[in-house]
Amino acid sequence: MLTIEGLKKSYAGNDILKGISINVNKGDVISIIGPSGSGKTTLLRTITTLEEANGGRITFAGVDNDFQKLNGKEINTIRRNVGFVFQNYNLFNNKTALQNITEGLIVARRVKKNEAENIALKALERVGLTDRKDHYPSQLSGGQQQRVGIARAIALNPEVIFFDEPTSALDPELVGEVLKVMKDLANSGTTMVVVTHQMSFARDVSNRVIFMADGYIVEQGEPRKIFENPSEERTKKFLTDILANV
Amino acid sequence: MSLNTDFMVKVAQTAIQGVPVTLQIVLVALLISLPIGVLFALIRIYRVKGLQRLVQFYVSLVRGTPIIAQILIVYSAFPSLLNMIIGKAAFSINPIYYAYIVFTFNSIATLTEVFRSALQTVDKGQMEAGLMVGMQPRQTFWRIILPQALISALPNIANATLYLIKNSSLAFIMSVKDITAIAKTEAAFNYNFLEAYLVVWVYYLIICYGAEIIFYLFERYFSKYRRPIKNRTGFNWFPFSIKQPKLEQK
Ligand SMILES: Nc1ncnc2c1ncn2[C@@H]1O[C@H](COP(=O)(O)OP(=O)(O)OP(=O)(O)O)[C@@H](O)[C@H]1O
Ligand SMILES: [Mg+2]
Repeated sequence: MLTIEGLKKSYAGNDILKGISINVNKGDVISIIGPSGSGKTTLLRTITTLEEANGGRITFAGVDNDFQKLNGKEINTIRRNVGFVFQNYNLFNNKTALQNITEGLIVARRVKKNEAENIALKALERVGLTDRKDHYPSQLSGGQQQRVGIARAIALNPEVIFFDEPTSALDPELVGEVLKVMKDLANSGTTMVVVTHQMSFARDVSNRVIFMADGYIVEQGEPRKIFENPSEERTKKFLTDILANV
Repeated sequence: MSLNTDFMVKVAQTAIQGVPVTLQIVLVALLISLPIGVLFALIRIYRVKGLQRLVQFYVSLVRGTPIIAQILIVYSAFPSLLNMIIGKAAFSINPIYYAYIVFTFNSIATLTEVFRSALQTVDKGQMEAGLMVGMQPRQTFWRIILPQALISALPNIANATLYLIKNSSLAFIMSVKDITAIAKTEAAFNYNFLEAYLVVWVYYLIICYGAEIIFYLFERYFSKYRRPIKNRTGFNWFPFSIKQPKLEQK
């Protein structure tokens, strides 16, 4: 459904992504793990066109082109078919929880206002925040903000939702409520690509784990295989280090 | 020394005719310079080639010269300029238009800087979130970025407005019949300058106070969404005290 080939990205002459190829199928829940600075965020941002890539090809939602040759229409198509959940939520500060969700529906999708509100309420219900619909982001806890962020993404019913470390800005006691929502999404068949440091999520929820380091995909496979029997030395070392800290 | 109160009442009654003139100058200058200020701020932020230099030069030019010099230049240059273009009619133009020009030019420069810093306080993640729900950059700007920037600019816009109100009293130099000009003329007849100026003083105080209240209400109404954060993160520690200040929660 989404295929990326040979994706390259550099910042000011530093190669950050050195040729990444990924294939996402419908219903996939993919966890991307790897050390800090390995390019995970950059990967999500280039796929979703928030950053311009320096090379590579994307096949997605009817678009089939080199990243550098994407025209405005194709960029719009890509943006309209992805969802993005940000590390620091990025809720619209001047909108209530409900308006955060209806905004894209009404403005970008041209859905009628009351219909958009119905969709938004359903999305809020899925993340368990119906009673907070009229709160502004500043009146919500981090966990609640992130759940609104997730509701905002699912309300648009995109082909695939990208999560960039959705729980890493949260206080430890709030991580659980967000992970639970994500688990529910995964179980209901939502296609998800999740950058995460939550090894429990990667191991128990996703159906594929990608280990990235230094701008390459070092290894990928089923969680069981990656966690119990990694074939690369780097993967083994990363997992030992990170699991030692839990 | 005693004040001639009868005269003060009389001046107050005459000078009140200048209040609409003053308000007119302020409103015209504000309404024109607000959108242009936003536009110029954007030109500076996006570093639009060519234009950005021009805007920067314009802002330095206005901010780096006394307003009185700007008034004198506009007032002496424009009539003769217009005379070349439209002939004699230029000299019968109501001088208030010159006041509009000077004060608009002036507040454009101030507001450009106000909006530049206000726009930069809006997190860039707001735009990215807009793009990721399928909105166009233009739509996100109008619906998400600009409203937030305007609200965070409100205190500075209020400040600029107060300066504008007070500076507008210089319009009398261009023989605009505003509060100051009327009071001055009255005073010159009777040599009761102090009385006349006290009246002027009170009028400006009232107008400025009114403006402050309006902006306060605006701010209270529009910044609903960020009130809780403000209390927690703003500077509030009395620098000479060892203990944390006690703050009432609103
Ligand atoms: N806008 C930028 N300009 C210059 N360099 C950047 C920029 N964004 C990221 N980088 C660099 O790219 C590299 C990869 O960054 P990225 O944020 O993708 O890593 P990451 O894997 O997401 O790390 P983390 O786990 O800490 O979030 C880093 O070395 C970073 O310094
Ligand atoms: Mg990252």
